[in-house]
Order: sequence, then C-alpha cells, then structure tokens
Amino acid sequence: MAIVLNTKFSLGLTIIVYLLLTGCSTHVVITGEHPPVLVQPLDYNVGLVLNSSFTDYSFTREKDDQKIIITLGDSQTQLFSQIFEGIFTSTQRLQVKPQITTNPMDLVVIPRVEKLQVSMPDETSLNVFEVWIQYKLEIFDTNSALITEWSVSSYGRTQTRFLKSTESALHQATNSALRDAGAQIVIGFNRIPKIRDWVKRKTGSNNAR
Amino acid sequence: MPDNTLLSTAAWSLLLIAILAGCSTSSIVDEQRSDTASLELSSGERLVIMGRRHGNSYETEPDFINCISNNVANTGKFSVMPEQEFLDTLYPWFEPRVAPLKLQGMSKTLAITVVADRIKAIGIRYVIWVDGSTETTEEKGSMHCGMAPSGGCFGFKSWDKTSSYEATIWDLKHLTEKGKVKVDSKGASYMLGIIAPIPLIAQVKGVACEDISSQLKGFFSQ
Repeated sequence: MAIVLNTKFSLGLTIIVYLLLTGCSTHVVITGEHPPVLVQPLDYNVGLVLNSSFTDYSFTREKDDQKIIITLGDSQTQLFSQIFEGIFTSTQRLQVKPQITTNPMDLVVIPRVEKLQVSMPDETSLNVFEVWIQYKLEIFDTNSALITEWSVSSYGRTQTRFLKSTESALHQATNSALRDAGAQIVIGFNRIPKIRDWVKRKTGSNNAR
Repeated sequence: MPDNTLLSTAAWSLLLIAILAGCSTSSIVDEQRSDTASLELSSGERLVIMGRRHGNSYETEPDFINCISNNVANTGKFSVMPEQEFLDTLYPWFEPRVAPLKLQGMSKTLAITVVADRIKAIGIRYVIWVDGSTETTEEKGSMHCGMAPSGGCFGFKSWDKTSSYEATIWDLKHLTEKGKVKVDSKGASYMLGIIAPIPLIAQVKGVACEDISSQLKGFFSQ
C-alpha cells in the first residue's frame, strides 16, 4: 500500500514539476505555405546553400520567467527555395558550398539568420506582437570569390490585437516577417550595386564570345 | 416599501437611459468624385479593396477590408477579388513595404510586364485603397469582479472609439484616380457591473464599414 501511495505521489509530483517548468513556455512552430513569386527570372544557374543551421533554425528568448521558442527552419527553407527558384531559371539547393571544379555555377548564395527579435504587446506602446528577422546573404561568383554580403532586415507584426493566443500571434507576426524578407529579396536582388556590376560584366563577357 | 419601489424604478430608468444612450454612434461621410459619371465595370472586370499597411503606428485592419469587400460583393452586381488572394497572386508587388502609394508608383509597377500581364489575366480594373484605423480614445471608470460564490462584478466603465478611414479609387485601365470617400465615426461604449457585467457596445467600426461600403457602391453604374 505504501509503495502504491509513494508511486502515485512521485507521479503527481513529477507532473506538477513538469507543469511548473513548462507553464511559462511558449513554443511556436512556423508552418504554412508561402505564395510563389511573380517575377521575370534571370537566366543564371545558381546554387542555394541551405545548411543545417538554417534549415533547423530555432529562436529562443528567456525573459522575466517567460520562455519563447520559435522554430522557423522549415518555413524559411521553403521560402528561400521558392524565392530563388523564382528569381533564377535554374536553382540547385545544396547543403554545403560547392567546389569550383565539380559543379560550376554562375552564383552561389549562402543565407544565414543573423538576428531575430521579438517584442510582446506589453513591451511597446503599439500593443501588438512584433518580430524582426535579420538575414545575411553571402553571394559568391563562379570562382568562389565573394561578390557581396547583403543584409536584409524584415519586420512583421500581428494585424489585430485580439488573437486567440500568444502562439497564434507569434505565428502570424513571424510569417509576416518571412513574407517581408521574401519581398525584399525578390525586388532587391538585382538592385544590389555589386550584383548589377556582376550582371553587366557577365553580359559583356557573354556577348564578347 | 414605497422607497424600495422608487429605488428600483430609478435603477431601471438609469439602465434604460444608459442602454439607449450608450450605443449611439455618430458618423460623418465626405465624398469627392473626379467626374459625375458612374464608373464602368465591364463583364470579366473586377475590383479589389485593399488596406494600407505601410505606417509605423497603425495598420488598416484586414477584418475591416473584408467587411467592405463582402458588403460590396453582396450586392451581386460587382465581382470583388478577396484582398489576400490578390496579394498572393501578385506577391511580392503589393506587400506593405513595396505597394505603390501614388498613381505614379502604380504606373511603374504596371510597367513590369509580368505584373501587368497578371493583373490583366485576373481582370482587375479598379484598386480601392483604404487607409485608416479604429482607436480607443478615452477610457473612464473601473469595474471589479470577485470570485464566486459571494462575488460578482460591480462598477462602471466607459470608453470612446473613433474610426477614421479614407478610400481612394484607382482606375488601372486609365491610371487615374476616380474619387475618394472619407468616413469618421465616433461612439461611446459602456460596461455596467450589476453582479453580472452588462456590455453596451457601440458598433463604431461596423457603422464606418457600412457607410464607406454604401458610398463606394454609389460610384459604380448599377
């Protein structure tokens, strides 16, 4: 009898401790499809390097006994794949930077998350959930020489103050920030001065042949 | 005994006055047209109503845009493309950061062949931009609710809401602005705590939506 009681007591205590530890934690896994991009593709063969730190990316913030985890690796992988498949006629998704000799490509792009910031309604006067994501894109040429490093800062917020839960609000704000990042990359890629110069040189050398 | 009856009558009268006065909403509608003729919408042509979301301090609420879109579409006389569907179909050209704010910008966007072709393919003739928001401007009073069984809610709370929206109609065929509608609505809401909380909510945003929708419908030939 005493053993049964002890077992029940231990089980109850474990459940209470577990609830106490996880009670103030919010874990959001970003899901959902991103729309295909509407753009005239550039006629280049591009390697998009999405390594595990990008595809498995998860953000964690612990503040005032409140833990927030946002897992957006899958969603940003889908977004970046879709974007680059739209911007260029040929895009190969890779896990590591390719060797020059084995797989020649016009450009190699390696994106990474530099910073992610979250702001809760009680932290600002706006009273909405906000998410900022800063990406850095390293862009290499055929010879594996760095053309440029491009920083993209995106922003998203909840469109309404009355959402069902913190989870759904953070989900909406993060998706909105991802959508903003996509928009900036699609529209801004061939406006980067060093990329424009590279395109000019590339077009010139192709015409000379 | 007569005192109790008097008190009860006074309480009910107060409640009735609060109900009648509490839900009142006032609205001012202003309209500008570039010409007096109705706007034409041929068969196969559609319109889209979109919210402005480029500002730092507010965003035009998607539910407000849906409300106008539904009201205009419900007449059965116009084909209205849902805002989100339009944004996804033309991604990323009408995202908050890049959407054209003026006709000059729209002209540049339409100079992009893929964008112009897609707009033509989906039959969008008019884009109606709605800019504004609904804000709570003044809160007064307080209410306290206790735990059951001896508890309940007691107190009085009131708040004012102001809706201010402006809709601008762009004709994509001729790249011209066809008109504007401006609506300002105000209303006071109350919450009475007499054991149970009794909300008396003024439908400020709903009134603004109805007003702006009916004005917009008036722009098009019936």
